Amino acid sequence: MAKPSFSDEIANLLHAGHGNPLRTCIQCGTCSGTCPVVEYMDHTPRRIIGMIRANLKDEVLASNTYWYCASCYHCTVRCPAQIDIAETMYALKRYSIWKHVHQEGLVGPVFSETFVKTILRSGRSFEPILATSYLFSSGARELIQEAFMGTKMMLKGRMPVLPPRIKRLDNFKRMVSRVIPLEADS
Amino acid sequence: MSKGKRLLIIDDDPDFVEGILSILETAGYEVETAYNPKDGFDALESKQYDLLLLDIMMGRGAEGVMIARKMRKDPKLREMPVLIITGIREQIAYLFPGQPMHPHFVEVDELVEKPVEPDFLLERVSALIKAAEDRKAKG
Repeated sequence: MAKPSFSDEIANLLHAGHGNPLRTCIQCGTCSGTCPVVEYMDHTPRRIIGMIRANLKDEVLASNTYWYCASCYHCTVRCPAQIDIAETMYALKRYSIWKHVHQEGLVGPVFSETFVKTILRSGRSFEPILATSYLFSSGARELIQEAFMGTKMMLKGRMPVLPPRIKRLDNFKRMVSRVIPLEADS
Repeated sequence: MSKGKRLLIIDDDPDFVEGILSILETAGYEVETAYNPKDGFDALESKQYDLLLLDIMMGRGAEGVMIARKMRKDPKLREMPVLIITGIREQIAYLFPGQPMHPHFVEVDELVEKPVEPDFLLERVSALIKAAEDRKAKG
């Protein structure tokens, strides 16, 4: 089989080889017009799709677009060519994490890492630990605001003080090790 | 030894495939490639191979493991030796800092980590094929 282009590589990450859906994009810009976080992105989703199709690998990977995607799936719902754009953003996230090529200083990758680590350790997510992955990237005022909000939530019992754990954590860890052939670090 | 042996590589990383492809072809193997799990499994079902070189992190996640599990359920594919070549620890090391396990998905499988030394790769490939042939001869 011929060596796949960058565009095919991304398509391979999407639907495990049911063709390349990005080729059907008509560049109408509905996704970009719909996106609630588009103003924070280096390139709009429409442009990213165009860039993937043009095999502009370095430019695509250097952009923050896919890490800023809020996964609201509005673009996917409205796309007239039925492209799963939010899933494409996830494909780019996977690609950049697996190859360690994403932009430095982004909240997204750190957040994902902390989230999965917390889940693997205790089977549950724990907000106070998760928050620290991005808290310090914002200003002092936001920090105090967040801390205030967190304390209030804890006092009202909306957030646990100690990290919650699931029952039979060993079973869960064994389940994970059946999917990923790596020994747990215990 | 390597003459006429047919191998299949299922790996989504074109650069890595290019590397091991040239090593294996120079050694005289007949090699086919599939760059996504779906094409890979289709090839496994429709053609005959002596050995499979399988990546783990493909498609939506650990789809290499899904291929191996499907192979185990297939009476024809169950016997095929599988060499899993993965960069899984490097790719998601922060999640799973442990050592790689011998996965035992099929009758004969082995896990090696990327990057692979050419000599080591050729040695493991020929050893796995030989082991499979010996088992067949014993019946």
